[in-house]
Amino acid sequence: MHNDQINAAPVVGLVGNPNSGKSSLFNLLTGLRQRIGNFPGVTVEKKSGILKIGDLPPVELVDFPGAYSCYPTSLDERLVVQELTNPEGDLFPDAILYVADVTKLDKHLLLFTQLRDLDLPMILVLNMADMIGENGLQVDVAQLSKKLAVPVIPVSAREGRGVEELKKAIENLLRNPKAYRPEEPFYEPGALARDVLADLRQELPARNDYHALLLTHHASWLRHIPEQLRHKVQNARVKNGFHSLRAQVEETMERYDAFEPIVQDTVRYAGDKASASDRADGILTHRIFGPIIFVGLMLLLFQALFAWASLPMDGIEWFFEHMGTAVRENLAAGWLTDLLVDGIIAGLGGVLVFVPQIAILFLFISILEEVGYMARAAYMFDSMMQRFGLNGRSVVALISGHACAIPAIMSTRTIANWKERLLTILVTPLTSCSARIPVYVILISFAVPEETFWGFGYQGLAFAGLYFLGIISAMLSALVFKLVLKTSERSFLMLEMPDYRTPVWRNVVVTVWQKVKTFMVEAGKIILLISIVLWALSTYGPTGAMEEAGVITQQLTEEQNLDEAEAANLLASERLEASYAGHVGKFIEPVIRPLGYDWKIGIALFTSFAAREVFVGTMATIYSVGSADDELRIRDRMAEEINPRTGQPVYNQATSWSLLVFYVFAMMCMSTLAVTKRETGGWKWPIIQFTFMTALAYVSAMVVYQVLA
Amino acid sequence: MPFIRSTAASNFVAGMSGTIDRFTNENLAGKLLDIGVRPGSRLRIVRKGPFGGSWYVKIDRHCVALRKQELACIMIK
Repeated sequence: MHNDQINAAPVVGLVGNPNSGKSSLFNLLTGLRQRIGNFPGVTVEKKSGILKIGDLPPVELVDFPGAYSCYPTSLDERLVVQELTNPEGDLFPDAILYVADVTKLDKHLLLFTQLRDLDLPMILVLNMADMIGENGLQVDVAQLSKKLAVPVIPVSAREGRGVEELKKAIENLLRNPKAYRPEEPFYEPGALARDVLADLRQELPARNDYHALLLTHHASWLRHIPEQLRHKVQNARVKNGFHSLRAQVEETMERYDAFEPIVQDTVRYAGDKASASDRADGILTHRIFGPIIFVGLMLLLFQALFAWASLPMDGIEWFFEHMGTAVRENLAAGWLTDLLVDGIIAGLGGVLVFVPQIAILFLFISILEEVGYMARAAYMFDSMMQRFGLNGRSVVALISGHACAIPAIMSTRTIANWKERLLTILVTPLTSCSARIPVYVILISFAVPEETFWGFGYQGLAFAGLYFLGIISAMLSALVFKLVLKTSERSFLMLEMPDYRTPVWRNVVVTVWQKVKTFMVEAGKIILLISIVLWALSTYGPTGAMEEAGVITQQLTEEQNLDEAEAANLLASERLEASYAGHVGKFIEPVIRPLGYDWKIGIALFTSFAAREVFVGTMATIYSVGSADDELRIRDRMAEEINPRTGQPVYNQATSWSLLVFYVFAMMCMSTLAVTKRETGGWKWPIIQFTFMTALAYVSAMVVYQVLA
Repeated sequence: MPFIRSTAASNFVAGMSGTIDRFTNENLAGKLLDIGVRPGSRLRIVRKGPFGGSWYVKIDRHCVALRKQELACIMIK
């Protein structure tokens, strides 16, 4: 409960409808100083930041997910109700900044009136204030504030206007939360709810009638309602014939009737002329041109991805290569130096080299999102996606998956239907993420001749083909899951398409930075660990075995009169075979022989299951090339590799294609599995995901090898 | 285009418009009301989606994408 004293650590919640520009305002207020965590007990991402206002204690600003009303349909929306109906919770705000788009005030006040009836201290923030005055849009702010009985602050998150006034208003409200207590509610629980409330009002931990009503509606899933009370609520609902949906519709209608006159009195909207946005949609969502433009945009995106990313990627590789050399030269030779150079530095380089591609991809995606195009893409492809058991919103995840499956899977939270969301999560890792690129690059050079056909390079075509294979297999797998999984839950499209607007660059920068950071932290941890473990496994072996390798090398060197360099290479490969990693490779060799792989490829496969991008690094270690970062040198060593049984090169067309197909399909990313576990709430789905993808990879690779060989 | 009796919005073709009278499905009604589609709103079908199934609809001044079965529960007068 609130008292007149200012809380030592006040919490201010940012709440509003999706598309109200809430995140824009959050970014404006907190910039890059945001902390990302999870809301307690649930998997919804929690963004918060510290706000310094006057001599107040630091204010924690929490960005709640966008919600339309207190009757949630998605996971994100549930959280808002969960936290705002729990006065005992840590995140229960001392004040709420309710963000509404001034051009959509006739819709955005629904949730406002509901929260107001919960008796929460609030400020109404009118976002997009830069639109006031344009096209005849007029707002009487003073009148609106008087009629709603809350402070009303016009703000333009886009132009950064109104921030000082907003901070002043927050300060006033925190210092004097009771100044704006509502005099009368917008809505009194009606006939449909009266009986059940009479039974429950005293039982429920509610501050007022409306709070009690919301608890009655949602007791079954609210975390702060104990099991026993849930039963009581359920019994009272049954006894009084409480119909939740009907009561919700009644309430919503009454609320619209209550606030609509206020909006009509204080806001004058522009006429209903066809806007520039409508004209743009005439082409961009056209039945024929729309999808063509979408495909064109995607081609452009991937073109740019490769063209722009190559230079910074070369730079990063160059940097780590030189850093490795410098460390080796300046430190005494020994196991610590080896670990630093071959394990840690090579591992870090392996992660950071993907950053340019991920950044560019998310730059594009967040621009498309900011402009408002993603909602159009979801609209255009919804019915096609539905045929595969997905939702129009899955398009966003399937595009993002081409950068990295981790943030892509997290973007599925906007899909309300559990089955559609689950299917999207399961198949997204089949799209070719940027970690597959170096594997593709090195293997395609063995699989495909460097020739052109009508100006198109065969290798480039093969590359495009692998991407295509990824997306096609994602769609077909979704189709299979759709037929297997049954659900009675309703699926919605009901998608708002906001007017096109030029992007707010601050938002784009913040998004790209956060995605890149997530990738570096999530993937970085694992890749670094694996690099170190792999280094140890390939350096050490069972007692005696390594010494024996040394003796054998010496014998062979003397017998065959090898020079120093050849002897060193021979020693390295003999030692690898004797090491623990070699034992692992030999152990799985029988399983992978039908796919055309030997025990050395086995080691690479084995380590790739942690993170597929370690493939190239493992190849470098296995073929004892000093630096992992020079693909050409690794390539040359791989090309020289001869299969002792057939006398043919190991990396012939059949084996290379088989490996390529394996890497398209196989689930080789522990970070993704961890995210799937978090998002689906258990081990069941990540295990299924791992099994089906790996089985698909194994069978396909075997078929490819057996046909080509 | 005048309508004497109310008819489901899914019977409309692109370009037709009317005023929303009521909803015939409570489940969808709750959700539609949430996003600002309500009795008294002006509804206009702008165009059909590229692969069928979804529709680009204007509700008052706002653009919304709705599926055919979502339109089917909206009665227009």
